Amino acid sequence: MNFDYSEEQTMLVQSLERTLAKNYDFETYREQLAAKATHAPELWQSLAELGIMAMPLPESAGGFDGNHVDVMVVCTELGRRLVPEPYVSNVVIAAYIFEATGNGDKLEAIALGEIKYAAGFYEPGERHNALATNTVATANGDSYRLTGHKAVVLGADCADHLIISADLDGPSLFLLPANADGVTLRKYPLLDGRGAADVIMDGAQATLIGTAGGAGGIIEAAVDRAAAALCADTIGAAEEVKDLTQEYLRTRTQFGRPIGKFQVLAHRMVDLLVEFEQMKSIAMEAAVEARKADETTRQRAVSAAKAKIGAASRQFAQDAIQMHGGIGMTDEYALGAYVKRMLVNETLFGDTDYHLSRFANI
Amino acid sequence: MDFSLTEDQVAFRDTVRTFLKDNLPDDIRDVTRGKGHLSKEQYKRWHGILAKQGWSTPLWPVKFGGTGWSPIEYAIFDEECHGHGAPRVLPFSVSMLGPVLIAFGNDEQKKRFLPGIQDGSDWWCQGFSEPGAGSDLASLKCAAVRDGDDYIINGQKTWTTLGQHADWIFCLVRTDPKASKPQTGISFVMVPMDADGVEVRPIIMLDGGHEVNEVWFTDVRIPATYLVGEENKGWNYAKFLLQNERIGIAGIGISKNELAGLKRLAAAEKKNGKPLIEDASFKAKIAEIEIELRALDITNKRMLVETGRGMDPGPVSSMLKIRGSEVAQRIYELKMEASGLYALPFQPHAGDSGWNDELIGSLTNAKSTPVYLNTRKISIFGGSNEIQRSIISKMVLGF
Repeated sequence: MNFDYSEEQTMLVQSLERTLAKNYDFETYREQLAAKATHAPELWQSLAELGIMAMPLPESAGGFDGNHVDVMVVCTELGRRLVPEPYVSNVVIAAYIFEATGNGDKLEAIALGEIKYAAGFYEPGERHNALATNTVATANGDSYRLTGHKAVVLGADCADHLIISADLDGPSLFLLPANADGVTLRKYPLLDGRGAADVIMDGAQATLIGTAGGAGGIIEAAVDRAAAALCADTIGAAEEVKDLTQEYLRTRTQFGRPIGKFQVLAHRMVDLLVEFEQMKSIAMEAAVEARKADETTRQRAVSAAKAKIGAASRQFAQDAIQMHGGIGMTDEYALGAYVKRMLVNETLFGDTDYHLSRFANI
Repeated sequence: MDFSLTEDQVAFRDTVRTFLKDNLPDDIRDVTRGKGHLSKEQYKRWHGILAKQGWSTPLWPVKFGGTGWSPIEYAIFDEECHGHGAPRVLPFSVSMLGPVLIAFGNDEQKKRFLPGIQDGSDWWCQGFSEPGAGSDLASLKCAAVRDGDDYIINGQKTWTTLGQHADWIFCLVRTDPKASKPQTGISFVMVPMDADGVEVRPIIMLDGGHEVNEVWFTDVRIPATYLVGEENKGWNYAKFLLQNERIGIAGIGISKNELAGLKRLAAAEKKNGKPLIEDASFKAKIAEIEIELRALDITNKRMLVETGRGMDPGPVSSMLKIRGSEVAQRIYELKMEASGLYALPFQPHAGDSGWNDELIGSLTNAKSTPVYLNTRKISIFGGSNEIQRSIISKMVLGF
């Protein structure tokens, strides 16, 4: 049993920190947000050059054969620096789907950051059911035509290609260019500046990847990996929230003393600290188990983490704002950006209720 | 990062399992599982069995009889013990006094007292709290006055756990009433319970049990050789003692076992003709606490590994105590809820050895409320959770 990052992982964190400190500070984040720019090609390229996309991918694709703890390491830093880039959509979801469906030849372009993908599973009116397939596929010669609506597809704002789940004798996966005829993308930034789109398809031509009707397990595994990655993202954000709040209690003076001297706030701060360690522990477990072949082990670990971190991060955010007072609600102070980041993470890939109920029923 | 047990750890777990299967007496296991009160003889017998194996004082330095286990190995031992229905070894001698004597006692005291702690032949209780000194422990008044080669003790201690069985009590006493700070006038002494002037009066708690006592001292004379360390330095030893408790303080082993019990209970109870455990809202309550415990299990191991590498143990103990007690209390609360109406008949002595009354409801039902009430103590004793929060906030906020 050990709870440490490896030497390589520690080095990765350091070089990622350096790159982000240089290229993506809080001011850059705010400028990008104001311009509604959800993706910055130069930043994406510099991240690819660091090797963070290649790290968790198999060697055959030019990767480093890494694991999900590598993903955790990266996502924690991306959350900590509020980076909106579509890392999870590509390196976690798309890469896994290609690997699982025998399309390993597509991984190298992901490792290099050359081609971007986004995967749409969820649908309007279906809440957190990733296997919703009101989208239908009809055969058209060697290819298929897709008709349906995918909701809030993370990364679809800047993707070159889309991976879409649709019904063809059960859940099946299809690949199509984002600019294909019959595809309408309603692009928007999410609360925290990450990009997404609703994808509306009306007879759009697509290629089947994997077997028809047999994609349910792959979709579930992809979503679990993404959920574990977002747990790590929240850990990075929550740690910043914790540090900001601690510093504020130390320096903000009222009634002639730092407000952290008031026991009612000091104790509340301690509860944040304890909660943070609990969140971190369960996120670590999700990272360790997210790629386990045994489905029950994986699902229980991921759902435990997503449920715990979802509920805890909401409380965390509320307490942090309350302890800051008005300043915590202003747009120019970083706290609010982290609060939004955590909210997005909480709701994507299964919210707290969804995962609590799944955990309870496995 | 890797959460699986190493081969050595698996082998160690198997050794512990085999030992427990072969050596834990049935009568002791039954009372522990049934949440009854163990007799003095049962406590001592189990302590003796562990001692014979060399496992009664695992966390002591090896040269004094510790096992040299890593924190992970200790966690495995703790979980296996609770899982098999072994009772806890009382902390007063083994976890509290022993380490203080090893760190601050003189050779004579180590030779005289450590063997009796190790084999369990001496029963120790703790004399810290007083009626007027709870969270503000340093305001204690029980006084020891030097008289030639002796001290004469007058005052009162309270909440003395199982003091009715004890051969000895270790106490914080005031030896310098004029000290500039209350903390600097306190000494750490050991007192035989059969000394003239020591009187034990029972306190019956909400669960109907006689677990704690008042201990009164009236002109009790002890030789000065029963002073531990230096006069007026007792507060430092007490702080050391409380920090030392970090391993095991989160109560992971016991909570895992109680959670398994909660699930069994919820499977046996019915709601609308179906097992309670299938009820969506109760199932969610169980899931929430199970997840919290999962996280705590990892936090606990992580922190213990870190303190082994030099992280300040003070805030770690406090953190583990806060969340550990909250988790355990929640599980007991849910066991009471799960018992429904049969949580109500008051049968405080059900499950004790020698108890032969007719049981109403199941034994788990019968004990659910007494145990719920009894375990409200775990967020109060050993420094209340509010005191623990103050300790942490001092460390992190620097106030």
